Amino acid sequence: MIRPEHSRRTDAVQKAMARREFIRKAARGTTVVALGGAVYYFADDRLTREARAQTRPDGRPRLPPGQRVIEKLRPMGGRQGDPAPGRHRLKVHGAVSTPEVYGFRDLLKMKIVEQSVDVHCVTAWSVLGATFVGVRVRDLAAKAGVKSTARHVIFEAAHGYTANVQIDEALADNVMVAWELDGEPLARPHGAPVRAVVPDLYFWKSPKWLTGIRFVERDEPGYWETRGYHNHADPWTEERYG
Amino acid sequence: MASHTEPTTRGQSGRRRRKWRPLVRQLHRDTGYLAVGLTLVYAISGLAVNHIADWDPNFQHLEKQHRLTGIPVGDEAAVAFVAEELGIDEAPNDVFAYSKDRIVANYEQRTLTINPSSGMVLEKGQSPRLLLRLMNWLHLNRGKKAWTYFADGYAIMLVFLALSGMFMLSGRRGLIGRGGILVAIGIALPLLYVHYSGGP
Repeated sequence: MIRPEHSRRTDAVQKAMARREFIRKAARGTTVVALGGAVYYFADDRLTREARAQTRPDGRPRLPPGQRVIEKLRPMGGRQGDPAPGRHRLKVHGAVSTPEVYGFRDLLKMKIVEQSVDVHCVTAWSVLGATFVGVRVRDLAAKAGVKSTARHVIFEAAHGYTANVQIDEALADNVMVAWELDGEPLARPHGAPVRAVVPDLYFWKSPKWLTGIRFVERDEPGYWETRGYHNHADPWTEERYG
Repeated sequence: MASHTEPTTRGQSGRRRRKWRPLVRQLHRDTGYLAVGLTLVYAISGLAVNHIADWDPNFQHLEKQHRLTGIPVGDEAAVAFVAEELGIDEAPNDVFAYSKDRIVANYEQRTLTINPSSGMVLEKGQSPRLLLRLMNWLHLNRGKKAWTYFADGYAIMLVFLALSGMFMLSGRRGLIGRGGILVAIGIALPLLYVHYSGGP
């Protein structure tokens, strides 16, 4: 006959052993997950380390501070516009002598450029060497005849999204209206049919689902700039927040 | 029969004095009930959008490569053939030929990029995460208009919950004891973060 006292002790021992077994299993599981995560992290981080060792032709480090390199552009949300190229219109207007509305086929007839650029998201990821095809904003500006009084460019996108860029930066060689990324038409989450690409500023300055380029004399902070993000957005000086 | 206890007490002067803590608790409780729905919306959407760099909180995406043979010549004919082969029974809302080797057909929630010469078809689609997309839409106040006032009201409710929460209990579990320590930790965390991160 088992005495109640003895039975209680046995139960307590079994409970303790079960607890120990649970802790052991939990520790093993945690170790496996941590090791897996570490392998993933360090394998991924190789790109970041390599990028940190590189310098741009303008002397700045290739990777701005606080950024980590990933392999592909990530869709960062936003309210999507109409992705159909057949219906797309791009309005170039504001402080210009000849405002113009371009259909997608008009853009295809212009001087098309293919550029490999680095893009930097304010959420701290960067993609190096993303290849975009499109037209230079500078060429669109030249056709429109931008007035000498224009100081800023407002990129306009679907559903009222805007982003403001200083005119000298918007007319840089690598700034474009793009419709192709890495050999494929832009996907919807990346702004189909066309998006702006302003590689030397944080990427929120490169609106997806682009519908207009407006030249203005006075600055007009855009969607994120009026929500606490920096008005200029230089990744090399970490101008993330205002 | 249990007697109902009035949240009042008689002071030294003999005048009835209303106890304020039970009132705070009642208001805190009822405001809490009111805040449940909005808290779930903002909290779940906050978690989702906070990690937007890792996933798309609004849409699920699909991407498939197909190889088809016998794609006919002509944009419309090519699109109709591919749609039938892939079992797509809706009509495209836009067909655009970038070149003879790249025809793009847009449907409600998917895009086909067709290369008739090689027979390669890239299908990219998305389907909205219904509930989450609605929550994100509310949280980010994309609709603007009246929601701004709801959001303001909710923010005021949160301020009230935070403040009233501090005064719900008296004694060692209240603000002069355990509550005070937890409040201090809660205030210290953002301050320390700003200090050590360098701030804006």
